[in-house]
Amino acid sequence: MSSKVKPPRMRIGRRIKKDHVFKVKVRFEHPSFTGLGQAEPETNPAFNRAIPVSFIRNMLVYYGEDLVSRFNMTSAIADNPMFTFKLKAVKEAPVKVVFINNAGERWETSKDIKFSA
Amino acid sequence: MLDIIMKRVFSANLFIFLITLLTATSTVAAGKVDNFEIEGLISAASPMALISELEKKLKVNVVEINLKNTESGWPVFAIEFDPDQLSREDIEKTIATIEDPAGHFYQVHKGPPINNAAFIDEELKAMEMFAPTAAEMEKVTNPIAPADESLARGKEIYEINCSTCHGMNGNGQGPASHGITTFPRQLWSWYNTDSSTDAYLYWFITNGRNEMPPWGLVLSDNERWDVINYVKTLKKPE
Repeated sequence: MSSKVKPPRMRIGRRIKKDHVFKVKVRFEHPSFTGLGQAEPETNPAFNRAIPVSFIRNMLVYYGEDLVSRFNMTSAIADNPMFTFKLKAVKEAPVKVVFINNAGERWETSKDIKFSA
Repeated sequence: MLDIIMKRVFSANLFIFLITLLTATSTVAAGKVDNFEIEGLISAASPMALISELEKKLKVNVVEINLKNTESGWPVFAIEFDPDQLSREDIEKTIATIEDPAGHFYQVHKGPPINNAAFIDEELKAMEMFAPTAAEMEKVTNPIAPADESLARGKEIYEINCSTCHGMNGNGQGPASHGITTFPRQLWSWYNTDSSTDAYLYWFITNGRNEMPPWGLVLSDNERWDVINYVKTLKKPE
């Protein structure tokens, strides 16, 4: 389980035609801990708050200036998640994905959308 | 001859013993014991690993460990140190550099958990667009007067449904509160508040937030108002 955060990375298809639907994949290496653990597994198997809570709280998707989607997550999210979603290519503009974790820290990645002939 | 040698050995030993005693007494006299709430203890080997590493890095002495039954729920270490040589901040910084056997870093717990960090402006704007927020709550008024009957009903509903997380006296430390990632709200701040807080409480009880379920699906309107009337009577114990 990685405990280091790396900047998110985005991949989109090479050929995007106007008004067609294209797929966006975003991978973000960020740990996810519920904060629960066993302080004394041999004598007391109960789970307590043992490690700092850490998870991705929000993912915001911008297409150009518009906020087009919001993913609201909890500590149930996986470590280093990969998100895949589809957008309709209505304009040539950057797609930007912003991640915010439970401590209010922010990361972003973006790619320009250009129509192929 | 033997007597003289024995006497010299005895006096030398006595001298060393007195010096040792004096040094030990002066260390204890200068020592200050402070409690540190530790995040990051996740295995049985963890406390010993932290103690040995901490005592190796700094001149401190861990005099007591309380892994459970602490007030805040975090394990507490009582650490003795010389306040002339070290500050509490030095020890906190050093603890944050120590890695536990499972690969996490320890941390000294301060205040509320970080998963309660406030939403940043960007998130709030997005929430306004895509999700209902407290700002959209209906301006409702409490139709039930906080009379004895309502309070009795509210107390019963509270003790069955709410006390497991919020605690019997509203301190936010019910038995289930340790099993969820967001600390349940302490409810004393609503004590004796006027009708201006009704809509806010009604909205949150109805829709839920974080791990709190939407009680609008479980309790009727009147039951929720009874609970609100009762919550406003919960007072911090003197």
